[in-house]
Amino acid sequence: MAEWHAEWYLSTLSHWLLVGAAMIGLMLATYAVLRRLKVRREAAAGYALILPWLLGFLIWNAYPFAYSLYLAFTEYDVLQPPKWVGLENFKYMFFEDPRFWPSVKLTVLYAFISVPLGMAGALATAVLLAQDVKAVGFWRTLYYLPSVLPAAATALLWRWMFASKGLINTLLSPIYRLLDMEPLMWFADERLVLPSFVIMSFWGIFGANTVILLAALKNVPKELLEAATVDGAGPWTRFFKITLPMISPSLLYVMIMGIIGALQNFTAPLFITTPSGAGTFLNVYIYQQGFTQYKMGYASAIAWFLMVLILILTLLVMRWSEAWVYYEVEVRKKGR
Amino acid sequence: MKRAKVILTVWLTALALVLTACGGKSGDTGGQTGTSGQQSGDTQQTQEKVKIRLATWAGAEEAKELQAVIDEINAKSTTFEIVSEPIPADYYTKLQTMIAGNTAPDLFWLSQEYIASYAARGALLDITDRLAQDTRPAANLDDYFPEILESAKYQGRVYGLPWIAQPVIVYYNKALFKEAGVPEPTDDWDWQTFRETAKKLTNKEKGIYGVAFNGWPPVQMFIWQAGGEVISPDLKSSPIDSPEAIQALEFYNSIIYNEEVAPPLAVINEEGFAELFKKGKLAMFFGGAADDLDRVEGLDVGTVLVPKGPKNRTTFAWTASTVISSQTKHPDIAYEALVELTEGIHNWKIVAPRKSLATKEHLVKSEPRKEKSADTIIKATQEMRAFRVIPRQPEWDTIFWEQVQDPLFSKKGSAAELARAARPKLEELLP
Repeated sequence: MAEWHAEWYLSTLSHWLLVGAAMIGLMLATYAVLRRLKVRREAAAGYALILPWLLGFLIWNAYPFAYSLYLAFTEYDVLQPPKWVGLENFKYMFFEDPRFWPSVKLTVLYAFISVPLGMAGALATAVLLAQDVKAVGFWRTLYYLPSVLPAAATALLWRWMFASKGLINTLLSPIYRLLDMEPLMWFADERLVLPSFVIMSFWGIFGANTVILLAALKNVPKELLEAATVDGAGPWTRFFKITLPMISPSLLYVMIMGIIGALQNFTAPLFITTPSGAGTFLNVYIYQQGFTQYKMGYASAIAWFLMVLILILTLLVMRWSEAWVYYEVEVRKKGR
Repeated sequence: MKRAKVILTVWLTALALVLTACGGKSGDTGGQTGTSGQQSGDTQQTQEKVKIRLATWAGAEEAKELQAVIDEINAKSTTFEIVSEPIPADYYTKLQTMIAGNTAPDLFWLSQEYIASYAARGALLDITDRLAQDTRPAANLDDYFPEILESAKYQGRVYGLPWIAQPVIVYYNKALFKEAGVPEPTDDWDWQTFRETAKKLTNKEKGIYGVAFNGWPPVQMFIWQAGGEVISPDLKSSPIDSPEAIQALEFYNSIIYNEEVAPPLAVINEEGFAELFKKGKLAMFFGGAADDLDRVEGLDVGTVLVPKGPKNRTTFAWTASTVISSQTKHPDIAYEALVELTEGIHNWKIVAPRKSLATKEHLVKSEPRKEKSADTIIKATQEMRAFRVIPRQPEWDTIFWEQVQDPLFSKKGSAAELARAARPKLEELLP
């Protein structure tokens, strides 16, 4: 499609340039106005510089957030203006919708199973990568690769691996033969949908989490470990009594981000077809209600439910973390 | 003080510039498809042509063919210039967003299940009266197949002109029939001979199956063939638990995912659906008349009418219409463009949903690659019909799938139980 449409090209280009120029003008004007209002030079420059971002945030984030909260209390099919229905959407969601609770159950179970397993895996990988081995840079790059691949591509890859005659079943075929059983159908079997997604989530072990934990491991003070060794502590004791507490803040971070990410699982389940909608995660359900059923009001209500769910779970984890996360600073304060 | 005023003026001007620059885009889509040479020459005319925007789901190839149709129409018109805006992905999402944002295209395509829904919500222009005064052939409603035209109507008023009616026919792989020693199907076959044929052709060891169902072909077609309805003509009931409907649901269920005659779901999910036929792994496939299944390289494919049911041989026709947005600023000119465009598309797409155009000559002229199957297609048009739709069709379809078909096909209940349980829920959605 290398056709040249001068009119279209130039008009689009001029629009872009115009927006850019106007934005600069707006920033300069903001600066000038703030200076007139006797704002410090530094602060005025700061406000002027964040103006494009601020406008973007207000128009593309803050406004949609607020609007979706309003929509959650309406019936809105996009074609007609939203109609206020009060708590109707929430009533339907909690008490009538036969698909809502199964979706919540799937999403929460997935988060509770996949996050701890994923953290354990990420930690194990990080410990391995923290060793002094040859070409450590190469290994670290290699293990980071999965998070560089686009999610849609990995979803298709896993669908293929889980196929009835795919890689996983081929690998398992000696076991099937030994146990004299039918090959598992994975995503095609309703009962195996959740385990299949959990197995698939191990893909996320490698990547950002490993890197964060690796950095945390490298930050554990050598002298603590050496002192423990001198005192006769073995490798396991050192790991559980020193390393783990020292990296616990990073573990907390990984856990919270993991829970949020798991509850928002979207791309993979959207690409993988499962029987009877057994793989409908909450986020996918929101998408279906909003963009295939055109119930934007109901979709917004579920989205806000998901937000509150994430908020509550995050707060619970934060609360619980006080029991196991160790912050050097706090202990010092208490000790004083 | 004076300086503050100047600054304020600059500020406001800049803001206005940003706003106009952002907003300008949507109104000025005129240049998007690059008006071809002859139009730019016409701009000297006393009256400038009105730009009529047309949104379609056409993919790259299709959009190119459509552009050729449009170019010809634009060249002839002195009042309008149709500007094509193809949206091959997320068509309905984008369309709804444009309507919500008051930037709806003047004309757009809607497939049959959406027209009642859009019309009921006031998004479409009622063209009944304009059509009544129009003598052009494409505006002559009597020429349209009535069952097809029905899909463009809502409460007796016409909201669009159907541009295609693609009846389902059966494509079959001649080599697989020969291999299995089964005689090729003929137009007088029925459900029983069809199922027996499929069974004889299935060879699980070789991964070859008689036919494949997965919700397509629509179960409605079989219900009609048994003499039943899923939505009654007066739109007051959904008799999916009638003996006729149950018979059809049970017949459908005896084929879908049943390895005696058809591939299981896992095989379809992994290897594709129509792809199975193209790969030579299916002996028969229910396809739309315009599908490319009869010109797959290396396959010798024949076509035959769908098997006859207990009552008749009705076949489902996939139908779509071009409609006019109720937001259009030029309703009269948009209507002009609609009729001309419909005539143009009727000479391009098959099958044009008009009785006078349902001939072999016209079909082959529009699509020469279909010559081999033309006879079957023309015969199929005589017994085709579209869905009967209601404003809440998307919801109706979801319940019909999730609470009747899907559980039935995954063996979670009998047709009678499921249909009886779902009927009141479906009827709640009727107007």
